[in-house]
Amino acid sequence: MIGETTFDRILIRGGGALLALIWIAPLAYAVWAAFHPPAFEARFELMAPLTLDNFASAWSQAPFARYFLNTIVLVTMILSAQLVLCTLAAFAFARLEFPGKTFLFTLILMQLLVMPDILLVENYKTMRALGLVDTIIAIGLPYFASGFAIFLLRQTFMTIPKELDEAARVEGCSLLGLLWRVYVPLGKPAMLAFGLVSVSHHWNNFLWPLIITNSVETRPLTVGLSIFATTDSGTEWAVINAATLMTSAPLLLGFLLFQRQFVQSFMRAGIK
Amino acid sequence: MKLLNVFLATSALTMFATAANAVDLEFYFPVAVGGAAAGTIQSLTEDYMAANPGVKIDAIYTGSYADTTTKAITAVRGGNAPQLIISLSTDMYTFIDEDMIVAWDNYVTADEQKNWIGGFYPAFMANSQTEGKTWGIPFQRSTPVLYWNKEAFAAAGLDPEKGPANWAEMVEMGKKLTVKDASGNVTQWGVHIPSSGFPSWLWTGIVAGNGGLLADDTGKNVTFNSDAAVGALESLVKLSATDGVMAPGILDWGGTPKAFFEGQAAMIWTTTGNLTNVRTNAPFDFGVGFLPGLTQNGAPTGGGNFYLLKGSTDEELQAAADFVKWATAPEQAAKWTIATGYVAPRPDVWETETMKDYVKGFPQALVARDQLDYAVAELSTFEGPKVTQLLNSALESAITGQKPAKEALDGAQAEADAILSAYR
Repeated sequence: MIGETTFDRILIRGGGALLALIWIAPLAYAVWAAFHPPAFEARFELMAPLTLDNFASAWSQAPFARYFLNTIVLVTMILSAQLVLCTLAAFAFARLEFPGKTFLFTLILMQLLVMPDILLVENYKTMRALGLVDTIIAIGLPYFASGFAIFLLRQTFMTIPKELDEAARVEGCSLLGLLWRVYVPLGKPAMLAFGLVSVSHHWNNFLWPLIITNSVETRPLTVGLSIFATTDSGTEWAVINAATLMTSAPLLLGFLLFQRQFVQSFMRAGIK
Repeated sequence: MKLLNVFLATSALTMFATAANAVDLEFYFPVAVGGAAAGTIQSLTEDYMAANPGVKIDAIYTGSYADTTTKAITAVRGGNAPQLIISLSTDMYTFIDEDMIVAWDNYVTADEQKNWIGGFYPAFMANSQTEGKTWGIPFQRSTPVLYWNKEAFAAAGLDPEKGPANWAEMVEMGKKLTVKDASGNVTQWGVHIPSSGFPSWLWTGIVAGNGGLLADDTGKNVTFNSDAAVGALESLVKLSATDGVMAPGILDWGGTPKAFFEGQAAMIWTTTGNLTNVRTNAPFDFGVGFLPGLTQNGAPTGGGNFYLLKGSTDEELQAAADFVKWATAPEQAAKWTIATGYVAPRPDVWETETMKDYVKGFPQALVARDQLDYAVAELSTFEGPKVTQLLNSALESAITGQKPAKEALDGAQAEADAILSAYR
């Protein structure tokens, strides 16, 4: 082990600060552009007038209130369904014995290798057969049984000491009681980490929701944002940045408020 | 028992009646000029439904052109095709290749064939017809023009009322318009021809201005490395390299109007879809003119057409076609043009009182119409996205100085031939 010299420390801190700066730059620019009139998009003057017009203009170009509601319903629904289904499946794969277990688990792992975009047409056909085209459920349904969640939770559950499991069984705990009292509490960091990945992924998902939905009542925020992709006329950076800030604000706030918990659970769950 | 019979009979009757009277249509449309345009389309369909109670049109906003194409192809393969979509006119060969569109000819009378389909500007129909059939109906169509800053012209000692008539004049004027500060940095460039994203579009116009074409009307042959094209690319590269009138490197498409408003460029090439934007936001008087050609006038057309999709009954497609006939009729088309800045696709639209009033207050709008006489089709071939991408990459490598013009275009031609030979 070599001791950390002052030089190392400066290098590490300096590198960290540089990375942080690169990371924050787009966000800082978004804030600048969103709160100033369009004339100051590329001119940085300290005394530039502040304005909220960009937000008003962005808000009026699409029914964002409804889109917010839809997105929140969507991510909540997907996350709750994923947690219930995948916890049960992961428990079965981690601790129960049944025929075809390895084969089934391999199948689930295969899901991780398939890009969701390849399945667009097949998923569309399924939703149409179920009569679900243009519903919020249809946006979420293909993602309920998440291979990634099952894999992650199974790995977590397998690290839980067998002794705890056996002690609970000796005390007369039922199988579901065992899952609820022993595995779920100990698996929480992994679930929290997965929850963040899942929510941010579905908050940002665009193509599938656009394809499967047709009306304002079902479409999420990202589809509303796409109205600002105006290639035939000029790009209004001020309005785009206002809309982007507006739609990503809940996620950003959530992350800032809970960042300690998130970072800890990521460290424990071992995913980045 | 009797009651049940009566009930069955009535419900059968009702079903029959609904089938005969009401037609439900789905219509996907993209918007490429900002949010308000979506509202205009919605209000057009509502007006139509109010006048035609038997038809219900669900107008579905579907993002960008690319998103619309993806959504339409997915819906067709999923067995749930909409009857009507607006998509890029250049998608025609792709849609024929996918076997997902039907020709309009089956849904028009002989009279409409002559007066309606025949009534659009031929420049727009060039991207809408092939092998004797009409596959697209022009709607949100545009063409690029040159915008110039009259204040900058006056400051440089040029006549502010007269834009460049040809390429040589553009270079001459550009030299006078390029302004440097004390330390030698350029504060205002003479001209700005954007080259990011889809340079092939403006490129079609530059080549046409040099007397060349990029593709024929079968969609199976391209002529990327003709003498006209190589000469044009050399002239384009020279603008930055030796003439010193344009900023070097790839210039951003989306930032072009902004560069104009802020005085970073005195002349810009961009679409007429920007007319309304420039008119609202330019803090100075501006002029609009034809694209300055190297040897003659020339410009591409661009934008979107209506397409009829396979997978619905004849009755539904007929109803969709009837809606399009109404939407492209002079009064409606005039409303759409004024709201968006797209070029009205038929001469008779310009004859309406609404349009006459509009151009009286805004004569710049006429430039795009008059340029249509010299317009050529936008590059459109089978495997369109791939072939266009080859050309775009070649243009970018020449503009950034990685390859000489001829070498870049020869390479693109060879690769495009390899792809297109499958269709010949």
